[in-house]
Amino acid sequence: MTASAKLTLLSVLTLAIMLLAPFAGLSDIADAAIREHILYDIRLPRTLFAFVAGAGLALCGMVFQAMFHNPLATPFTLGVASGASFGAALTVFLGLNVSLLGFDATTLGAFIGALVAISFVYGISRLHYSFSIETLLLTGVATSFFFSSLILFTQYLSNINDSFRILRWLMGGLSISGYQSLLQLLPIVAFSAGIMIWLSRELNLLMAGDEIAISRGVAVKRVRYLLFFTTSLCVGAIVALCGPIGFVGMMVPHICRLIIGTDHRWLIPTTLIFGGGFLILCDTLARLVIAPAELPVGIITTLLGGPFFLWLLVRSRRSA
Amino acid sequence: MIEVSGLQVRLQEKTLLTDISFSLTAGHYLVVVGPNGAGKSSLLKAMMGIIDKADGEILFHDQPLSTYSQRELARLVSYVPQSSGRQLPFAVEDFLKMSRYAHHSALSEWQPDDQEAVEDALRITNTSQFRQRQMTTLSGGESQRVMIAAALAQQTPMMLLDEPTSYLDPHHQVEVHRVIARLNEQLGITVIEVSHDINHAGQKGREVLALADGQAVWQGPGEIFLEQGRLQRLYQQDFVFVTHPRSGRTIALADPL
Repeated sequence: MTASAKLTLLSVLTLAIMLLAPFAGLSDIADAAIREHILYDIRLPRTLFAFVAGAGLALCGMVFQAMFHNPLATPFTLGVASGASFGAALTVFLGLNVSLLGFDATTLGAFIGALVAISFVYGISRLHYSFSIETLLLTGVATSFFFSSLILFTQYLSNINDSFRILRWLMGGLSISGYQSLLQLLPIVAFSAGIMIWLSRELNLLMAGDEIAISRGVAVKRVRYLLFFTTSLCVGAIVALCGPIGFVGMMVPHICRLIIGTDHRWLIPTTLIFGGGFLILCDTLARLVIAPAELPVGIITTLLGGPFFLWLLVRSRRSA
Repeated sequence: MIEVSGLQVRLQEKTLLTDISFSLTAGHYLVVVGPNGAGKSSLLKAMMGIIDKADGEILFHDQPLSTYSQRELARLVSYVPQSSGRQLPFAVEDFLKMSRYAHHSALSEWQPDDQEAVEDALRITNTSQFRQRQMTTLSGGESQRVMIAAALAQQTPMMLLDEPTSYLDPHHQVEVHRVIARLNEQLGITVIEVSHDINHAGQKGREVLALADGQAVWQGPGEIFLEQGRLQRLYQQDFVFVTHPRSGRTIALADPL
C-alpha cells in the first residue's frame, strides 16, 4: 500500500471514530431533548477537543523523538509536562488572573513551566560534549520528580478545594471541555502543526543526528529553539486545559513510523490524525468502562503507555 | 581557496586546537594526519560550522566562514562524519535526496537536476545497486560509500572526510580511496581527509598537514612526508622504510623493536 493510500484509510477510520464516539452510551437516555443537548453541547465539543489535544500531544512527542533520536524521549518522559503542570498548578494556587495575547494565566503558567523544564533538561544534557540518551532520560526523570514534589508542595499549602482540583486535574481528563476550551486550544495546535510541517525537511535531517543535519545546511540551533518554543506552547496549552495526559506522545508517533515510515512530510499528517483518533478512542473508553461514572482519560493512556514504554526499552536494549 | 589562520577551539576549559594556520588551493587533496587526540576531527568540525565557538579565521573564497549561512556553507562544503551511517533509519536513496536540503527552500519542489545529482552520486560511488536498501542493512564498506555519495549529492566544490577508511578491511579501504581519488581528479573537488594511514598520505599528488596536541606541526607535499625524524616526532614511534616492489614508492612501517 502506498503512503497516500495508508493516510487516506487512516483518515476515513478516524472520521468514523469521530462520528461514532459522541453516540457511545447515549441510548440509555430516554428524553430526546436531553439527549440532543448532551450530544451537541457536551459530546460533540468533547470529541473535537479530544481530537485536537490528541493530535497536539502526538505531534509534540514526534518532534522530541526526532530531535533526540530516540522513541523514549517525549515531553512527558523528559519532564516538560511536569514543568507545565507545576506552572499551571502554581497559577491555580496563587489565584492569578492575568491574561496576555488572549492566553489565560493557567496556559501562560504551563507554557513557562514547560519552557523552564526543557531548557533545564537540554542544558544539563549539553554540559558534556557528548551526551548519552541515558543521561538525557535520567535528567528528565529527575526533572519530573522535582516538579512533582513542587506540585505536592503547592497542593499541601492549598485549601481542600484547590487541592482536590489540582489532584483531579493532574490525572488528566477531558470532562471539562466545551466549545470554549476547544476554541482556546485549536489555534495553538494548528499553529504548532503548521510550524512542524514547515520544518519537515529539517526534522528529517535532525533524525540523522546534529552533525549530519548541520553539514547538510540546517541551522540546527535555530530550528531546535523554534521547536522547543512550539512544543512548550502546545504542551503547555494542553496541560493547562486537561492536565498531563501521558504517553500519547510516545505511542502514537512510534506506531505511525512503523506504518508510514520516517519521512516527516508523511509522518506529520499521519501522527496528527492518528493522535486525534487515538485520544477520542481512549476518552470514549474512559467514559464507558465504569459508566455512568467516568475515568480520567490520563489513567487509560498511562495504563496503555507504561507497558509500551517497557516494550520499547526492552527492544532497544536487545538491538543495541 | 581555503585559508585558515590562527584557528583556536576550546571546549569547556579544554583546548582542542591552538593557533592552526594553513592554506589549500582549490582542487588539491589534503590529508590531515597526527596521533589520536591531536584535534584532527575538531578541525573538520570547525570548518563545517559544527563547532561554532572557534577563534581565529577560516576563509572560503576569501570570505570568512561566519559570513556564510549554514545553508550557503552546505552548498560549498560537504562532510562525511567519522561514525558510519548504519544506524540511520532511512533508505539509501531517501538519504541522498535529503542531502539536497541546501539547494531547496521550504516550499521548493524536487527538480530534475536534483534527481540528476542523486543519480550521479550513486553512479560515481558505485552504490546504485542498493538505492532501495535500508541504511541499517548495509555493510561497513557499503555504508561508507553511501555516506560519501550523500555528501557528493550536495554538489559542493569541497569535501571534508573524517577517517573514511578506519573501520574497513583492506579491500574496502582501497575501494573507498579510489572513489575519493576519482572525486578529486575527475570532478576537481577539493578534498580534506583525516586519516591514520600515513602511507596513503605520503603519496605524490597529496598534501599533508600534520597535527599534534592541537597544533599544526608540519605541512608539505606528500612525497616528502615519510621521513624518519618527522614521523618519530609526530607519533613517538620508530619506523622502517621499504620500497614497494612494484610501484617503487616508499612505504613506512611502524617498527615494533
